[in-house]
Amino acid sequence: MGPLAPARLRRSTTLTVMPSSEEIKRRIESAIPGAEAHVEDYTGGGDHFRATVTAPAFAGRSRIEQHRLVYEVFGSEIGGPIHALSLKTQPPPPDR
Amino acid sequence: MSNSPTADDLPMAHGQPPPPAPAAPDQTNAVREAIAQAIAEHRVILFMKGNPEAPACGFSARTVAALQSVGAPFAAVDVLPDPRIRAELSAISNWPTIPQLFVDGELVGGCDIVCEMYESGELEEAVR
Repeated sequence: MGPLAPARLRRSTTLTVMPSSEEIKRRIESAIPGAEAHVEDYTGGGDHFRATVTAPAFAGRSRIEQHRLVYEVFGSEIGGPIHALSLKTQPPPPDR
Repeated sequence: MSNSPTADDLPMAHGQPPPPAPAAPDQTNAVREAIAQAIAEHRVILFMKGNPEAPACGFSARTVAALQSVGAPFAAVDVLPDPRIRAELSAISNWPTIPQLFVDGELVGGCDIVCEMYESGELEEAVR
C-alpha cells in the first residue's frame, strides 16, 4: 500500500534503473547453457519485454517448466522493474 | 443479452479469507488456505487483475478472451484488492506473474501459454 505508491506517481527520467532488451538477452543467454534469445521492448517503456528463447535445456520439458527456467533468471525482478516478460520458448530444431 | 455464466455468478470470495477461526493467528496462512481451497473447488479458475467484465491488464484481458472463445465456464479471482493474494498465489504456484490459469488443480500457465494453447487447439481440450 503506502510504500508502493510513490513509484507510480509519474514518469521520471531520473529513475531509469531499468534493464534493456540487450541486458535481458545477455542474462538469459549466460544463465541458460546454449540459449539463444531474441528480446524486444514492445512498449518502448523499458518494462514490458517479449522474448523468444531457444535452448537445449527445454527439450523434454513442459511449457510451464520451460518458462520457469527463464523466469528464474530474473527472480523477483519479474513483476518489479520488469513489469512483464512475455515468453515464447522452444527447444532447438533437431539436427538433420 | 448474454446468459453465459460469468465469474460474478460464482461464489468466489474475491480472495478474502474465510471467516477467521476464533484465534485467527496467521492472516497469511489464511490467505494461502483460501487460495488453495478455491483452486480445489473450481475445475477451471483464473487468477487475474480485475474481473472478466473489466480486466485491469492486457494480459488478463487476453487470457479471459481465450477462455471465453472456447466457451469454457471459469471462476475468476481478482488479485488486486489485497497484495497478499498475489504473494501467496505465486508462493503456491512457483509462477511470478498474473494471470494464472489452473485446471483440475494444476497450473496451466499465464497469458503466453494459454494464448499459445488457444491457437493450437489445446486449450479447448484442456478445459473440456
